[in-house]
Amino acid sequence: MTAHALPVVQVTNLRAYYSTHQFGVQREVRAVDDVSLQVMHDEIYGLAGESSCGKSTLIKTIAGAIRPPLTVQGGSVEFDFGGRRLDLYKASPDDIAAIRWRHLSYVMQGSMGVLNPVRRVHQSFVDFASRHIAKPKAQFLDIVHTHLERLHLKPDVLRAYPHELSGGMRQRVAIALATVCRPELIIADEPTTALDVIVQRGVLDMIRDVQRELKTSLIFVTHDMAVHAHLCHRLGVMYAGRLIEEARTVDIFREPHHPYTSHLIASLPRIGQTAALQALAGAPPSLADPPSGCRFHPRCPQAMAVCSQRVPPLLTVAAGHRVACFAVTPPDAA
Amino acid sequence: MWTVLRDLLRHNREFAAGVCLLGIVGLVAALSALSPYSPLDSFVVPPDMPPAWPHVLGTTSRGQDVFWLLTYAIRNTLLFGFVVALISRLLSLLIGLVSGYAGGLVDRALMSLNDTFIVIPLFPILVLFYFVMRDRMSWASLALVMACLGWAYDARLIRSVAMSLRTREFTETGIFSGMSMRQILTQEHLPFVLPIVFSTTMNNINWSIGLEVTLSVLGFTDINTPTIGSMIYWANQHTAMVAGIWWWVAFPVALVVMTFVGLFLLAISMNEFIDPRSRLGRGMQ
Repeated sequence: MTAHALPVVQVTNLRAYYSTHQFGVQREVRAVDDVSLQVMHDEIYGLAGESSCGKSTLIKTIAGAIRPPLTVQGGSVEFDFGGRRLDLYKASPDDIAAIRWRHLSYVMQGSMGVLNPVRRVHQSFVDFASRHIAKPKAQFLDIVHTHLERLHLKPDVLRAYPHELSGGMRQRVAIALATVCRPELIIADEPTTALDVIVQRGVLDMIRDVQRELKTSLIFVTHDMAVHAHLCHRLGVMYAGRLIEEARTVDIFREPHHPYTSHLIASLPRIGQTAALQALAGAPPSLADPPSGCRFHPRCPQAMAVCSQRVPPLLTVAAGHRVACFAVTPPDAA
Repeated sequence: MWTVLRDLLRHNREFAAGVCLLGIVGLVAALSALSPYSPLDSFVVPPDMPPAWPHVLGTTSRGQDVFWLLTYAIRNTLLFGFVVALISRLLSLLIGLVSGYAGGLVDRALMSLNDTFIVIPLFPILVLFYFVMRDRMSWASLALVMACLGWAYDARLIRSVAMSLRTREFTETGIFSGMSMRQILTQEHLPFVLPIVFSTTMNNINWSIGLEVTLSVLGFTDINTPTIGSMIYWANQHTAMVAGIWWWVAFPVALVVMTFVGLFLLAISMNEFIDPRSRLGRGMQ
């Protein structure tokens, strides 16, 4: 599976906080706290977790789309695009600008709004992508045409205004726009959330086809576990700004270790199920004032004394399976 | 483009009426090129003749043909309006877009300048300019002064739109794809604010023509250049209304009212031409 030994992106101990200073009060929202992960070549990496657990912030910091009040407090993000290595937080703005779209592209949350409503679609392609393919305009449009054909989109869409396209179509065009330069890494933030399941299925299949065709890596973010099960090779589960479990998708669904992951998977309805689904008591914690120790411990049915005192490290429990939970890896063994 | 114009003419009555009115006004202005008399000459025709052939709109007490004088007057007045609108649109676009997009300190600096211009009382300032400049007050310098006073409201309007555009996904995508601020403003945001700019252009032309007419009627501008305002000024000087020379006043007023109504109708129908959504919406009805 891996043509390159090195991961396409390596995130190490990344911490990103939203810090605001207003009316003399300093507030810090720890949206991403000490996250490490790797995404290999030709792999779909899923990021799961409920709303406001820091998924979007994590991928914003990976993509380098950092604007105040979001600040990176520590850690590193290193890319390896076919031998071209780059440390995101040490590189110059020009170097970062050079990899964007060409090597690293980003399908944003609510990506239907990516297309400017008063510009025709082909103009959006020219605006966003043509600078990264240094070719004359006619040749660039040829590339766009072949790319759209590959994604089974009619070239007619190029002449349309975004509002003339359906939601699913706009989403497909947005994905086509993000993949036209054949980037090595695509980051997709909830690209199918606003769509109904039928259209969602179509878009997901398209994403998978693109990924197979271009052999790119993909970081796919959604709170929808069913979508993860359908699409992703590996899955990371986040809770309150921390990565708490990571494994191959089949392993996580077959044998989740972390109590939160178990509940997340148990909350999925199954065909033929008649019993009511169990909800987990409590609500996700405020990231401005997270609980001490393991951030899940106030809601955890297996919480122990140590859970509120120490932060469980993310440890490998099986091949490619990492969990941060004292119930799985007792503290003295850690 | 042409099919859009044709459809607008066919289906949008406001647009058709506005185009008709401005067409007549424009035709009159264009005829100035064919005028047999110079607008600055007087007593070239018999004075105080009522409208009749060959002087279709009558003649003035100064021995000028009202029709041919009017062609020059409306040409200069329209040109004045366009020049003021052009300069002040450029200013308001530049300041509005940059201020809304950049935010922070740039925004605060530009907007305090903007608000200063908003609170300046316009009419006394223009009269003051006239008294300071006197004979040096020409058509062009008045246009420049008015353009510098006429951008502030619209800059604020454009800024408010730009602030909203800054947070949209396509702006974020543009930044992510490495577009510079200039490229984002001209390629992504400018098309978005163009309907507003077009609409405010019409209003701005109306405003500047109205103010120019007011100033000329009162004699606070260069009254020797024939404009609609200076025509009325000279008619008043010769007590045309008292003497019963009504055509000297009535025709310039009628023509400038036609201009106002025409521009207003274009302004309200222009949105449909610019905004593809409302254009297509009407097509589907």
